[in-house]
Amino acid sequence: MRIVTARRISQAFFFTLFFWFCIVSTIGDKIWQLRGWPVDLFLWLDPLAAIGTALTTHTLYRPLLWALATIVLTIIFGRFFCGWLCPFGAIHQFVGYLANRKKTTAQKISLNKYRKAQVIKYFILIVLLFMAAFPSIAATLQTGLLDPIPLVSRSFNLLLLPIFDRSVNFVSVSARFYEGAWLIMAVFLTAVLLNLVIPRFYCRFVCPLGALFGVISRFAVWRIGRKKGDCTDCRLCEKSCEGGCEPRGKIRISECVLCFNCLDDCRGDLVSYQTTASNAGEITNPDVSRRGFVISLASGVLAVPAIRLSNKMGANWDHEVIRPPGSLAEPEFLKRCIKCGQCMRVCPTNVIQPGGLDGGLENLWTPILNNRIGSSGCQLNCTACGQVCPTAAIRPITLDEKLGRGSFADAGPIKIGAAFFDRNRCLPWAMDKPCIVCEENCPVSPKAIYTQESFNTVRDGVLTVRKAADNFIEVEVEQALIPGKFATGDYYCALARPSTGGLAPDNRVKIAANTESSIELSASRNIFEEDIPAPGARIEIQVRLQKPYVDIEKCIGCGVCEHECPVSGKKAIRISAVGETRSADRKLLLEPG
Amino acid sequence: MNEQNNIELPRRQFLSRSAKAGISIAAAGVISHALYDPEGPTPGVSAEDLVTLPDFSIPPEEGRTISIVIGSDRTKAVGRAIELLGGLGRFVKKGQTIAIKPNVAFASPPMLGATANPGLVAEVVRLCYAAGAKQVLVTDNPINDPASCFMLSGIAKAATAAGAKVILPKDSLFKYTTLAGGKLIRNWPVYFGPFSKADRLIGISPIKHHHRSGASMTMKNWYGLLGGRRNVFHQDINTIIAELAMMVKPTLVILDGAEVMMTNGPTGGSVSDLKRKNTLIASTDMVAADSFGCSLLDLKPYDLPYLAKAHQAGVGTTDYESLKPKRATIS
Amino acid sequence: MASGPGRNRRLESAVSILLLVVLFFIALAVLIKQADVDMTRFGLGAAAQPDSQNTPDLAVLTPDGFKEFSSPLVYTAGNLYEKINGKAPLYLDAGFLKLSTQRFVSRTDENLWMEIYLYDMAGLKNAFSVYSVQKRADVETLSTMQFAYETTNGLYFVHGRYYIELLGSAESPDLLEAMKNVADSITAGLNVDGEAQIPELDLFPTHNLVSGSFKLSLKDTFGFADLTDTFTCRYELNGQSVTAFISTRSDPKNAQKIAVSYSDFLVENDAKPKSTADEILKKVAAKVLDFYDTTEIVFFLGPFVGGVHEAEDQKIAEEVAVMLINRLTDLTKTPKQ
Repeated sequence: MRIVTARRISQAFFFTLFFWFCIVSTIGDKIWQLRGWPVDLFLWLDPLAAIGTALTTHTLYRPLLWALATIVLTIIFGRFFCGWLCPFGAIHQFVGYLANRKKTTAQKISLNKYRKAQVIKYFILIVLLFMAAFPSIAATLQTGLLDPIPLVSRSFNLLLLPIFDRSVNFVSVSARFYEGAWLIMAVFLTAVLLNLVIPRFYCRFVCPLGALFGVISRFAVWRIGRKKGDCTDCRLCEKSCEGGCEPRGKIRISECVLCFNCLDDCRGDLVSYQTTASNAGEITNPDVSRRGFVISLASGVLAVPAIRLSNKMGANWDHEVIRPPGSLAEPEFLKRCIKCGQCMRVCPTNVIQPGGLDGGLENLWTPILNNRIGSSGCQLNCTACGQVCPTAAIRPITLDEKLGRGSFADAGPIKIGAAFFDRNRCLPWAMDKPCIVCEENCPVSPKAIYTQESFNTVRDGVLTVRKAADNFIEVEVEQALIPGKFATGDYYCALARPSTGGLAPDNRVKIAANTESSIELSASRNIFEEDIPAPGARIEIQVRLQKPYVDIEKCIGCGVCEHECPVSGKKAIRISAVGETRSADRKLLLEPG
Repeated sequence: MNEQNNIELPRRQFLSRSAKAGISIAAAGVISHALYDPEGPTPGVSAEDLVTLPDFSIPPEEGRTISIVIGSDRTKAVGRAIELLGGLGRFVKKGQTIAIKPNVAFASPPMLGATANPGLVAEVVRLCYAAGAKQVLVTDNPINDPASCFMLSGIAKAATAAGAKVILPKDSLFKYTTLAGGKLIRNWPVYFGPFSKADRLIGISPIKHHHRSGASMTMKNWYGLLGGRRNVFHQDINTIIAELAMMVKPTLVILDGAEVMMTNGPTGGSVSDLKRKNTLIASTDMVAADSFGCSLLDLKPYDLPYLAKAHQAGVGTTDYESLKPKRATIS
Repeated sequence: MASGPGRNRRLESAVSILLLVVLFFIALAVLIKQADVDMTRFGLGAAAQPDSQNTPDLAVLTPDGFKEFSSPLVYTAGNLYEKINGKAPLYLDAGFLKLSTQRFVSRTDENLWMEIYLYDMAGLKNAFSVYSVQKRADVETLSTMQFAYETTNGLYFVHGRYYIELLGSAESPDLLEAMKNVADSITAGLNVDGEAQIPELDLFPTHNLVSGSFKLSLKDTFGFADLTDTFTCRYELNGQSVTAFISTRSDPKNAQKIAVSYSDFLVENDAKPKSTADEILKKVAAKVLDFYDTTEIVFFLGPFVGGVHEAEDQKIAEEVAVMLINRLTDLTKTPKQ
């Protein structure tokens, strides 16, 4: 078997594995659902995530220890990850292959020549790492923007899968939605289509992970090189060179992605994978000039305070950014989130959404809850997001911690925000329409929404009695009443206020039904023992409203109320991130006691 | 000859590269191990923001660790006790800032013995200035309202009259700390501000019976450095006292046994709770001081489990006799 | 696809196949990992599960005129507090195994519904214990069952190893009637093997005994950790209410030990021993103590520890204690049947 065959099989294998992990990331215990599938494996293997979080948090979170294996193997063997494992790279290689199939050998050789612009990816790496290495609270992890594993993970989970599953409904029972997917598509398509220009465009020019591997593979024990012998300079080795590393001459070790095409294509069998240096010479270091290095470093160092000038970490914090339960406080969160989209993928109610550009660079593609999308706000008995977060930006909390039970009873439940009524839109508050959908759906016990009864006179509700007997009152109407309008059980009939003002509190009876000009009272109570209204007396039709209030101490910000509120568009009850337990400085109330 | 070079060159290169690869791998392994975090992040304080209280202790001198003075006048007794340990000049150097942490826990009149004696505090302040201190700070984080505690206990007035600066606790003076090897003091707010500015730390506490811990003496005095909802630690009172003694390393502690609160501590409430014992102890070893002090409460060291814990943690020794205490009687 | 003398095909082939074998093992490892299914870490599924086996079928208990209002739910020790919150330790400390609940609603009035709580306490004594310590004051005990009482909106009783509560949504005689039907169905239909009687109740003389006042405290009786499995009841003499207690120990030596350590415990907590003129108390060396102006009496007899707790009047306390001693003396003399 040829080594390139093994490499192709490996690429297919890992791509399939990656694709499978994307498919199964739905909660459930069937074989095609989450179960125990290690869906974060590619993200854990990604050393850029490990090194990035190590720089920002000065810790190496346990699952990221996998990245050490990748690093060690890269140190020994070279950029095997790029050529054999990376699913994004496999896509690029395949698209590049399709695009250039019909081209001549000379054209292909020309496409694969080394270009100085290949140094750009190192600058990108330097900028990202220095942003991460920024001291203390200001460090921010932005590797996720261009790191290929989170990028391809976002693209599949938040873009391709929802599109293709819409009609099949295999992965998810209902269509999934993701805000800002257009941007994810733009980035993904651009990267993929650029392969039509130059093969493996992203890998050669942009990929910071590839750059990282390029740096690490300097001391590779085994590397591609020329054996002793006479080279005819046919350049066939560069016909399918994936890394653009010039194997015919001084091979650039840091660009070689171990595709082994050169080894396979060389007519003279002069190319081998060997422990001795290439006979034609080699360049181990990336082509980063001192000037380029300094400029990138300065950019990275300048970028962080520039981003933070918005004061978003201070008083100007964005109250609409509601993070999933278990998230760390914002500065700590931004040190760990690699924007992989796993939490958004796994959330059973589809409420976690990728942040858009409007929130600034740091918020881009980080998880933000949007209670209008999805099936129900943050489900009470669910801790899935924290379980799949590869870097613990969302901690893997237990249900006890989330609900404030058991050993967490003293700490109380985790709050991700608080609900606020918009009394200008809420039906009982603004429109005299009974509604307690929010209170009914509030999942905590005791409920965080409570109501207070109030009676309002309906529009044109003061009527003159024509005749009253038993439970029927005929009224004089200028405009006919709508039959049945007051029959819902929410309407009451009261004796109109005497001129002295004030209405006796019990002086009302529920209306059972009405016609165009008469009202039938409910038989369950009869105020008219004393006071059957005489003709000419005035009665009031009142609507019984249960006006809802939020009990701010009990509200956990789950957003079910916002989701269920029937006032469509801009909901009449909305969650704001105030009072979230993860941030000590965003409290609404003083600590009790 | 050329051939030989040709063969050796690649081999040398290979070995050199392998060595460098090996070193890189080792470096990667060491860094991973150093940073390794098996449990993941905890909510709340990030490690960067944790502080550690400075170590205020001075090198020990044999035979000058603990002194016990019998006498009815506290002011004279404390001077003598410090003299026996080498004089305040051993503890306080010219130009230094001294922090004094007396027991100001309750808004209780001085005669009830629930707080440090104001006259004693004033005398220690005076001695510090006499030894050349640039500034003396007097502070505590009381259980009751700070302003009224400092006022009603008489300590604010006495300390200020002696020239000290009285500092009342406020939020900005608290920082988070984790005690290395501690079980309870983890990510806990500690009263830090005044102590971060000081060069030396002196603790002054009366000897009291304590309902929960058995006794309140020099080690329990540091409870005043805890912030947050610290009464939660009462559930494991002996561990927290031991951890306080590990966390705080004072220069000198003064244990006032002139009038000992024998029962109903720590608040007392009746003069009848007090018994005159006319003893004052100065010590650089808190465990030894407390071990001797408990005898004045008619207790044995084994009655106070926190003593054994602190002894085991290496904070000091319960066998105070082995330190050859200096004794004196004054009229 | 060039092939020349320089290319070691064999080696290349071997390495390629080796790498494919590595891929195979990776796939295997992933497959093994996926079988490690612990759905509770996602939260969902950790709540109560509908349980079909090993649970009494509550649906058959639906009374006439009612229908099922919710699905039957089962709670185990792990999630009991999800249902009864702070009360959970009371049951967990008493041998709790399982709680089955369901709601039934009236077909004619949707505001009238009841919920049945069926606690499997693993034994009659445990069930009796949780029943007795929660028994409300001033309730009507039901004559139809051994341990049962009703309130204006609920029915509480013991059936073998089960402690059952039927709680109604309103104070309605119709609802109570329906609940009594449910209770009857349970006692008729739910099989309980094991003890049907609590013999310890017979240890107490019946003269002046307040009926229905028995309680069983499984541990920490009167604040003393070692006084376990203690039955208490009340006597009324001369208008005063006196609490008596008896605990059956494993052997007379243990009884003595517990009696002595309990009276020591009282003394440690500032009880003062008093003398007594009563001959019988003196004969069994009973301890009479004044505890903050109430009288405590502790004695041991054979394998029993008994006495009187917090009595207002020493004379009456002694009278009750003597009653107990006489009864126990008779019982220990009589050969076991």
